[in-house]
Amino acid sequence: MSVASAAYLARRAAQKERVRILYRRALKDTLNWAVHRHLFYPDADALREKFEANRHVDNIETIDRMVAAGEATYNKWRHPDPYIVPWAPGGSKFCRNPPPPQGIEIIYNYGREDNV
Amino acid sequence: MAARNALLKYMRVNVRPLQSPGAGSLGVSLSQLIRRHFSEEVKGSFLDKFEVTDRVTNVVKNFQKLDPSKVTPDAHFQNDLGLESLDTLEIVMALEEEFGFEIPDNEAEKINCINLAVKFIASHPQAK
Repeated sequence: MSVASAAYLARRAAQKERVRILYRRALKDTLNWAVHRHLFYPDADALREKFEANRHVDNIETIDRMVAAGEATYNKWRHPDPYIVPWAPGGSKFCRNPPPPQGIEIIYNYGREDNV
Repeated sequence: MAARNALLKYMRVNVRPLQSPGAGSLGVSLSQLIRRHFSEEVKGSFLDKFEVTDRVTNVVKNFQKLDPSKVTPDAHFQNDLGLESLDTLEIVMALEEEFGFEIPDNEAEKINCINLAVKFIASHPQAK
């Protein structure tokens, strides 16, 4: 099945995208669980080994199944309280002080209000 | 009135006196009073591009799978530095941690060279 048709390549590209997003999320999740760096590094290496072991699989159906299994494992291991940057969506500072609408100003005329 | 002006001149505050003291409409006085924009803390501040480049190159140099002497500001992660896509993702994550901000997933895919990373970080208002 080495026919490099457009559909096949598109499917492979979509799979690579899925794998990358999965790796990114899994790495962040590993950091959520293992907060201390000396624990995080071995875990990150183990995750990388798991991805590397399946690097040379060619059969597209197998890849699909493995990616789905990986995503299921990720969903199972998701941290209940992940670290989100405060002003990102889901963080604690998100939308906390939205910028005021345009054209609103403070008029500094304390004590001079009567002299307008 | 004169005492107030003298005091302000003493304190060297740049106050423009009202040009038409008899103006009753609010629109006229609004344009002549001192305006001050709201504080910039809410909007965040953009980082300097050279500083960003320095920090990004430092992060990439500390990456263990790379040769630190090959890291230049124009380096492409996959072509020049010989990394793979998973390594690129690790670098992007290290940059996120360094600058303390969040990249959405679809944007993180597109960062394959240092220039793009610097451009992205410098244009993000909340990158510390």
